[in-house]
Amino acid sequence: MARKRTALADADELDLVPIMNLVTILIPFILMASSFVTLAVIDSTLPAIGQPQQVEQDPDDKPPLMLSLMVTNMGITVAGADAVLFPEGAPELAEGEDRPPTIPCPGSECSDLESYDFAELTRILGMIKDEYPDDENVILVPESRIPYELIVKVMDHSREDVDAKNADGTPRTLFPFVVIAGGAE
Amino acid sequence: MALKKAQRKQEEGGLTITSMMDMMTIILVFLLKSYSTDDISVAASDDLVLPVSTTMVKPQLAVNLVVTRSIVVVDGVEVLRLTEEADEENPGDMIVAVPEDEKKGQLITRLYDRLLEKAEDAKQLAEMTGSEDHEFKGRILLQCDKNLPFSVIREVMYTAGQAQFSEFRFVVYQGGT
Repeated sequence: MARKRTALADADELDLVPIMNLVTILIPFILMASSFVTLAVIDSTLPAIGQPQQVEQDPDDKPPLMLSLMVTNMGITVAGADAVLFPEGAPELAEGEDRPPTIPCPGSECSDLESYDFAELTRILGMIKDEYPDDENVILVPESRIPYELIVKVMDHSREDVDAKNADGTPRTLFPFVVIAGGAE
Repeated sequence: MALKKAQRKQEEGGLTITSMMDMMTIILVFLLKSYSTDDISVAASDDLVLPVSTTMVKPQLAVNLVVTRSIVVVDGVEVLRLTEEADEENPGDMIVAVPEDEKKGQLITRLYDRLLEKAEDAKQLAEMTGSEDHEFKGRILLQCDKNLPFSVIREVMYTAGQAQFSEFRFVVYQGGT
């Protein structure tokens, strides 16, 4: 009688070994196909090639924005927006003298990525966007030795201002369409 | 007495599978959640570390051009090897560059031939299918190591542009500020 009860109890217990086998096979398979980092893309185009077009401009109109960002190891120069940056006229430069960077590096050169003042870049681009709300293009002109990571950082900070929000709570869009130009030697 | 003792020992030695099953189930659910069906994949290595960006645009399938610190790969096939040259501006430093004998001005000849083949293939496919989905739009996915100098990227972009690829998608890791 006692032996019969023991046999019954044994039969009730669930045999988990086949499920364990299945799970053990599934785990390496899913582990291989899993991604623990998310990939994304930044769109960019080549500069358009063509004949320059003469555009009739009303003298009362604002000068068109040809925003360019020159990235060198001395800092970032914002060009093409002098009407916003220098409302009383750009400072005179001696012959052969280059314009100093709008956002210079501390000291004479930027030693690493952190030396660049990206917050100031976003602030200046925000000012330009206030004046030209319909413009969305920016031309990036990096120097030959500038690392790719820095170019991506400049693109990020010129695309949107994460500190200023739109009405719907998304970051304020600045100049999302980046054209990468040949660059300075 | 001895028999009873042996029987008890056997019972105690049995494998308790239930707790292991719980653990496996949790791992399985976690892995299923991070299971990805992205159009592209990155073979990360010491020579290829993508930069981090705040962009949210999802990648779509296109010709995949990978530029690591040592090789250039188009759709999984190695096209050319890069070299490390002495940096003229910073003596003592080395800089990654495309070998001079692989270039004609800024054009990387072997890469140009390979990309042109890809463009022709894509156009033929578009013609055969006649569908808008397969239309050749000149899109190219660029996976570049974050430490590559712009001089290499400029030459790669110029070559791709000459081979009719003018819409670049720079692949990055999402995150950061």
